[in-house]
Amino acid sequence: MPLIPLLDRRLIVVTGKGGTGKTTVAAALALAAATAGRRVLVAEVGLDEHVPALLAPGANPVGYEGRDLRKHLRAMRIDPYEALAEYLGLQIGLRGLARRVLGNRAFRQLMDASPGWRELITLGKIWHLEQMKEADGKPRFDLIVVDAPATGHGLTFLDVPRVVGSAVRAGPLRRHAGWVEEMIRDPQRTVLLPVALAEELPVRETAELVERLRDQVGVAVDRVVVNAVTAAPFPPGLDDLDARLAALPGDLVLPGTPSPATLAACAAHLRARHELNARWMRVLADTTKLGLVALPRIARGVRGPDELALLADALVAPPREPSA
Amino acid sequence: MSAPLDPAALVRDRHIIVCVGTGGVGKTTLAASFALAGARLGRRTAVLTIDPARRLADALGIAELGNQPTDLPRERLTALGVPPEGRLAALMLDMKRTFDELVARFADSEEARQHILGNRIYQHISDALAGSAEYSAMEKVFELSERRDFDLIVVDTPPSQHALDFLEAPRRLVEFLDSRLVQLLLHPALAAGRFGVRLFQRGSERVLHLIERVSGVSFLEDISEFLLAFEGMSEGFRERAREVQARLVGPDAAFVLAASPAKQATRHALEMLARLSAAEVPLAGVVVNRVHTWPGGGPTPDRVPTADREDEARRALAAAFAHTEGSGFPADEAARAALAVADGYAALVRADAESTAELTGRVAKAGGFVRRVPELSGDVHDLEGLARVAEWVFRTGPENGEDA
Repeated sequence: MPLIPLLDRRLIVVTGKGGTGKTTVAAALALAAATAGRRVLVAEVGLDEHVPALLAPGANPVGYEGRDLRKHLRAMRIDPYEALAEYLGLQIGLRGLARRVLGNRAFRQLMDASPGWRELITLGKIWHLEQMKEADGKPRFDLIVVDAPATGHGLTFLDVPRVVGSAVRAGPLRRHAGWVEEMIRDPQRTVLLPVALAEELPVRETAELVERLRDQVGVAVDRVVVNAVTAAPFPPGLDDLDARLAALPGDLVLPGTPSPATLAACAAHLRARHELNARWMRVLADTTKLGLVALPRIARGVRGPDELALLADALVAPPREPSA
Repeated sequence: MSAPLDPAALVRDRHIIVCVGTGGVGKTTLAASFALAGARLGRRTAVLTIDPARRLADALGIAELGNQPTDLPRERLTALGVPPEGRLAALMLDMKRTFDELVARFADSEEARQHILGNRIYQHISDALAGSAEYSAMEKVFELSERRDFDLIVVDTPPSQHALDFLEAPRRLVEFLDSRLVQLLLHPALAAGRFGVRLFQRGSERVLHLIERVSGVSFLEDISEFLLAFEGMSEGFRERAREVQARLVGPDAAFVLAASPAKQATRHALEMLARLSAAEVPLAGVVVNRVHTWPGGGPTPDRVPTADREDEARRALAAAFAHTEGSGFPADEAARAALAVADGYAALVRADAESTAELTGRVAKAGGFVRRVPELSGDVHDLEGLARVAEWVFRTGPENGEDA
């Protein structure tokens, strides 16, 4: 069965271990979608906003209301308390009171102690956004990209509607959890996009994530993004260039250039990095049986839209097929 | 004015070392390397990890074990240069058990204990109230410290967006227990009639009831039951929380920040630094992991080769290749590739220096140490890898990554 192109989805949930570049990938994906003419919303669920700084350096915070950062591209941060106030407002018409009480510090501590509602209300808000329509009946957003909590937490995040569905027997909440559940588990609409680095820890964690997704949560996952991959440093046929550099006479002086030993050390380092990445990508493909989307390491670091654009094309290209 | 801090002095003199930092920056590795260094000095050392990588856990011998310290076998320690009087024990935090043990300690009766342990809110508390991973980690540190069978306790804090959760957890718990809302829920009758209180109580109860109506969950009942059961032990918790906090910011403890040169990671590290200093937690220093360093030392070139010598350099290198490799070798292509690779590597080194400059500058200015661990080309998940990291962290001298 051919893969559904990423940009043809309705909802992409980006997750990954801390430090893998999850937020960067979410931002690059949103940029790719907007560039392709899709109306896209990128939503963060953490405590802080990081997406706006990448897509529009120097921009003010976008907050719960959200803001267009460029044509077709809206960004927001889903604060669970705001979402709860909105939900209670919609359900019982007391948004003002709900907001005031939810703003109380002690009340918040009480709410913090109660499990699951944050995830549920956040997903409920995402469902609500997915359902929004323009006057002409077209969806308000073609695509919603969610920068989800790090793996582990990410799975709990998606599993909450199911848990609620089984724990709560009746009432509006059960019905609403059912709607959210339906969206998350619809393989046409929703896909989880794990982000990994081609190193031992993230690869193992990603493999576990994919396994648990298949076994427990039942959310579609069809590819893995591998971030910051060091490309093969040498042209074909010159695979041992570092060794050849090291074999040059030690007293050789090259104009305007460090010593051959230094050149050899640079080459050896990048080669080792490349081989390590290649090895762990093979492990990742073998264990997950999924296609990989490799994003190049950007030496100067991802600072803003220019670097995101470099990643965007690679991100939406069809994944490399898993090795047979 | 005390002597400038350095990692070697910390592992020699301190009793508790807390490694803080965001996820993915090698905090666990750092904690383990500090512990190894302590054991090498002959100290009885324990390292508390939260979620170690499989192979590191295996290497430390805690893959199957939980909440109690497990010593590394003597022959492994000897191989790593740990003298006979030195010990290295590792343990992995089991949040739930730590918290349960705490409840058992402070419950005033068996009935109260059972009541709490069986309460639905309590069962979820490990995920939420006052950041229980943080609280449990601290509690464990305190427990180990009280037992007095370790000279040095190194702790790897839970990955958290806010490093200070770890330090603030006990205070938040106490604050929560003392909060007006909790008091109201516990003693609604007492509060009745007091100005301003009633309205708030009515408002909050109304919302709680509405939440219950919408959710079909008996939220209020669970919470008041939990709080009632908890009340009897809150004084014990409060006292303990104060002691734990005092010990962690006291002169026998030290905080070390782990960081990495990735843009997002340095941003987080700076946020963390600001919070630590706002909370007046003295930071001993920062260790930046996985930094690209220019081979052989010396300043990193802006371009390789310098712009004015490009053709000349390429021709000279090609000629050298032609000489060593003989004819038939694509000497010109190899020379081009070699120079491009070095230029690309220099860009990585410069990017890392630039992205970490603000962080290391601030730490150094505040009197903390700065250590950089070079990217070791491989992953570090075994004891030999740890020893390699430790070597970089505990070296001295300005040429070894220490900032002047």
